[in-house]
Amino acid sequence: MAEIEDNTVFQQDDHRAAYIFSAPSSEDQHHHAASSAARPTKRRRVSSKKDGSKSRQQTAAAAGEETAAARSAFTPLFNGAESPDAVRLRAESFETAWPVLDARIQHVLREANRNTLDEVTSFIGNAEAETTQIPAGIIITGPNIASQDLLFEQLADTLCKATQARFVRLRSAEAPNLKAALKKIIKDAGASGRDDDDDADDDDETGLSVGKDGRKYLNYDLETLHVALGANESPRVIVAFQDSEAFDSGLLTDLIALFHSWHDRIRFSVLFGIATSVQLFQARLLKSTARYLYGAQFDVVQAGSVLESVFKSAVAGSQAMVRLGPSLLRNLVERQQDQVAGIQVFISSLKYAYMCHFYANPLSMFLAADGHVDRQLLQPEHTQAVRTLGSFKAHVERAVEARQLNHAQSLLDDDSYLVDQILKQGQRRQDHVMRLLRSLHLITAMGILSTPFTDLYISALAEGIDLSSDMFAVVDPIKRLGPDGIISLIRRIVSAIETGSPELDLPGWESEADELMAALGEIRDEVETLVERTKDNRNPLKSKYGAQNKVLRTTVVAQKVQLSRDTATLTEEDNAFTKAIDSLADILSQHIHCDPAESLFLHEAWLYDSKSPYRDVFIPRPATTFGRALTRPHDYLGCACCGNAGGAVASTLPATAILYHLYLEAGALINVADLWSAYYASVGDESELGLDERTALVHFYQGLAELRMMGFVRQSKKKADHVAKLKWL
Amino acid sequence: MVRRKSTEQEPASRLARKRELPLDPYEVPDETTSPKRRRGPNKNNIADIGAATLKASSLKPLEEAGPTETIPDGANGAQSSPQPTPVKKRRGRPPKVKTGDAANVAAASTPSTTRRKNVAATPVKLNGTNGVDTPSWRNNADRSARRKSARALIDRVVGGALSDDEDEDGGIAREIYEARSYPPPKKRGRPRKAVSARKRSPTPPRDLPPHEQYFYQNKPGLTKTSSNNLSSLDLLTHEEYFSVLRQLKDPHASDVEFLQSLHAESFPQWSFEISQGFSACLYGYGSKRRLLHQFATYLSERSLSPQPPKVVIVNGYVRTTTIREILSIIGNAIDPSYKLVSGNPAVMVQNLLSLLSTTGLTVVLIINSIDAPPLRKAMTQSILAQLAAHTQMRLVCSADTPDFHLLWDSGLRSSFNLAFHDCTTFGSFGAEIDIVDEVHELLGRKARRVGGKEGVTYVLRSLPENAKSLFRLLVSESLAMMDEGGGITAEGPGIEYRILYNKAVEEFICSSEMAFRTLLKEFHDHQIITSHKDSIGTELLSLPFRKDELEAILEELMS
Repeated sequence: MAEIEDNTVFQQDDHRAAYIFSAPSSEDQHHHAASSAARPTKRRRVSSKKDGSKSRQQTAAAAGEETAAARSAFTPLFNGAESPDAVRLRAESFETAWPVLDARIQHVLREANRNTLDEVTSFIGNAEAETTQIPAGIIITGPNIASQDLLFEQLADTLCKATQARFVRLRSAEAPNLKAALKKIIKDAGASGRDDDDDADDDDETGLSVGKDGRKYLNYDLETLHVALGANESPRVIVAFQDSEAFDSGLLTDLIALFHSWHDRIRFSVLFGIATSVQLFQARLLKSTARYLYGAQFDVVQAGSVLESVFKSAVAGSQAMVRLGPSLLRNLVERQQDQVAGIQVFISSLKYAYMCHFYANPLSMFLAADGHVDRQLLQPEHTQAVRTLGSFKAHVERAVEARQLNHAQSLLDDDSYLVDQILKQGQRRQDHVMRLLRSLHLITAMGILSTPFTDLYISALAEGIDLSSDMFAVVDPIKRLGPDGIISLIRRIVSAIETGSPELDLPGWESEADELMAALGEIRDEVETLVERTKDNRNPLKSKYGAQNKVLRTTVVAQKVQLSRDTATLTEEDNAFTKAIDSLADILSQHIHCDPAESLFLHEAWLYDSKSPYRDVFIPRPATTFGRALTRPHDYLGCACCGNAGGAVASTLPATAILYHLYLEAGALINVADLWSAYYASVGDESELGLDERTALVHFYQGLAELRMMGFVRQSKKKADHVAKLKWL
Repeated sequence: MVRRKSTEQEPASRLARKRELPLDPYEVPDETTSPKRRRGPNKNNIADIGAATLKASSLKPLEEAGPTETIPDGANGAQSSPQPTPVKKRRGRPPKVKTGDAANVAAASTPSTTRRKNVAATPVKLNGTNGVDTPSWRNNADRSARRKSARALIDRVVGGALSDDEDEDGGIAREIYEARSYPPPKKRGRPRKAVSARKRSPTPPRDLPPHEQYFYQNKPGLTKTSSNNLSSLDLLTHEEYFSVLRQLKDPHASDVEFLQSLHAESFPQWSFEISQGFSACLYGYGSKRRLLHQFATYLSERSLSPQPPKVVIVNGYVRTTTIREILSIIGNAIDPSYKLVSGNPAVMVQNLLSLLSTTGLTVVLIINSIDAPPLRKAMTQSILAQLAAHTQMRLVCSADTPDFHLLWDSGLRSSFNLAFHDCTTFGSFGAEIDIVDEVHELLGRKARRVGGKEGVTYVLRSLPENAKSLFRLLVSESLAMMDEGGGITAEGPGIEYRILYNKAVEEFICSSEMAFRTLLKEFHDHQIITSHKDSIGTELLSLPFRKDELEAILEELMS
């Protein structure tokens, strides 16, 4: 077998548990050694190995900034025809786009925990004075253990600062038993005071540590800690159990009892991160242990609201360079809401979407900051690519319909005209995003719709914003508002325009919205005067849309009750008010408006809406993959011999695939002798392949061993030479 | 029987029999075959009907009971002994008749009205049918079963239930229902035939979803396999396996190669991913070891940063892989002169990460078969996750089983930050699995052991003299046992621990059981003996070698 011979090169390594990989040839190693000393040499070496376009990229990079070359894991697109500068620009765009968002997300996540942190800090600070028990903060973190790390990291920071305490984080994996837990506590609490790590390492090797007075202690003796902390005025140690549920309850009990007995010398506090409920947690502790604790419960912000703020800042915010398309977003958000994935997964998916966009879309280059994209960068391939876009086609068609034939003609024929148009699109994109965000901000500021922001945003992207549509049906509710409601609504809108939205990173746009502001002011003044005028009247001001205007009349005619609806008579002021409301509605629907993102020319450069890499990369379906590989190897191998078989068993299939077919047909218990004869019947003398028995047996062995390794079968004790089926894919 | 009839004239006993009525129909299909018996019921029926009609006129409360009881009474009399007790016993027992359950149930709950009409209106006809063919109540029972199954079918269609007709109940209902379409003469045998055919169910239902397939195949009684075994087949030895393998040519070699080159085109993408803090996880059928090796080569060649990343390759499939070894190798890669603290892996990993942070190095950790048994422990995985979460650490791993993703909970998943890629390579698992041993272990043939004669002599060379003597004793004993042909188990001949000890003491190989144990433990550690307990709890020692191998070993030891 060819495989075997290939393997001889590194066969020894294959049977070692772990080894340090070294590049195959010594020449390479020499280069590696040299590379740290002389960087340019190395770069030249790499460039000489690559094909033409690559080397151009490398030389260009070498000429440019130092860092540019290092970061480029990007490959040239257009079948390698993309210019190195364009590649670099994409890489740079990614590297400027993502960190901004990442920082914002981290900020949001940190802010989200702020309240909890403050509460815990004040509790730990005060509890000590109130009780002789061990203060225990019980933090309900929710089921998603992935987000706990950040919380406890923050807790450590805050508490260390606020209370001058030593903070020890314990995870169940790190503390399998009492000794290990104590060692970790002593090490962490002790080490955070003194910086010399070497000292701590020595401790571990000998199992002993030397106190200041020369006495030796076992490294799991809390006395060590006591001595180490002795210098401090008030040695305080906070021990946080991150995943309390995963700790052995005996271990918890022991630790708490131990802390209690040391409480007079070392002031311990404990924190528990809890995924389920306090009741369940308490049930796991002994009553006597629970009595040592002086507990308080803290809740962490709900996952839903964290998602919303992350969404606002990272997906919708004006800083987000790439817009994620509606279908991908819907997918991501649904996965969050189904609670199958934590917020971390959302963030990773977001990052992955950015990576995909910049890595694989040559047009993503247009997202680079202004001035970076110029005519020289645009290659013929770019214009050609643009011409194949769906949005280009739509744009030209629209131009033709609008009788702008010259425009359409030049777009199609004239490269430089197209380039001009392309360069203009950057501004268009920003305008569009601004309009979208402002409209959304106004809608949410009105406080009329109860739809979550994520849904609003997604449908705004997909269908655009139109106040008459079902999703954004705010006009009718506005019309039904009373005068007070209208005034406060206008006030809210005005303040929304003035302040913008920090969450969306949207500054106020008062200066740009003179017209709207003026109109709003006018209406408000008018309504206010109307209110003033009708203040003395018995009837309050009302519009014809108001609910109280529709009066139900009951008339009794011939002993029968008749119901009729009547519009109450409107006074002059009422009519004026109605008119004001109408004009308000008009103004709002005029200003709050946005086209769907996909209607814009060249949206492909900044809208990323592809589900498939996300699905493949984050939601793998290994069972299907394995099943497919084994049932239809042809799909992968593309060989001539197995293609004809379709779904049936062909003798040319790999042994494992044939065995898998037989496996599928077999029951829960498989007789290997029968399996062998069935296998031999399909590949043996009588078949097309005509293998002799021993060769077939070798294949049979391979297949069976692979099935076993993949966990399809295991040995069965029920009968001799039988195996049990384990998988039903 | 007539005698018996005469004894039970009292209404009380009739009532008693009436109560056992519903059970009787079950019994009939079993034994309606002999004409002699069939004659019995006829007589009884006539007698009974007469009695019943009489009673009906005089005894009001029995009006309903009278006609109903007539038929089963006959049947009862036909098949059971005169004593009433066995009949009573039968009442509680679930029917164990070959005919379909549905038919029985239907018969049991048939409204008595139809029967009454039959019997009361045309006694003569009843007589006739009984004489020629099956008792009429059976026809009735079948008919009502059919009606029931028709109803069941309609319900299923109306209720929009699952449409797979192969489904158990649906199958019965359909069979019973369709039985009706056969011409009357066949009526008698037909339903039974159909039902019994179902019981055997020769063809498994196709296209079931996996979970249904599971329940179907795990039904008790379905796990019937032939009693063939592999005794006639000469199993492969390592030597033969490799000698055959060397001559083999894989017809798909070029396709596999091509597939691999397709995957290799993703190298830049993967390296971009891992540079962005994701860990790449390659899954799919086939060995990904070579692909990862290429990737490692690619990474160290393509690296553009001033310091090329250190690449550490871990082979998870190697049985002796431990997390400690992995950590110390990584530590070695970072700084060969640094000595990691030994001890708890959790401590080691902290130490390692702080070491890594002090250097500016990037370490790429490539793990072959992250889901292999040695790495499956939760502890190991959480340590790997801690490693992967470090910013200077890149992780690329491959997974070989279809359910590898069950290894990680959401916490681990987010610290791994895995990006999955389908890398079905169809590459052969040359190094990953010891194919011959694996198969033999699967078949329960031989335990894992050192490689044949050479391995044993190699091991013994490093052991003291008395260990060699003990092993010689063991070998000669098992050869002797093989010659006798007794005590052969799956593991080869087993020698009783006690006996061996006594012999060892006799030959001055060891003086105490303690020393004896120590010597045996040495053998155990090198996997050249196995021990197991037999059914009565005696400890048996055996050598996992074939006879010719044992002879060769003995020769070697004696020389």
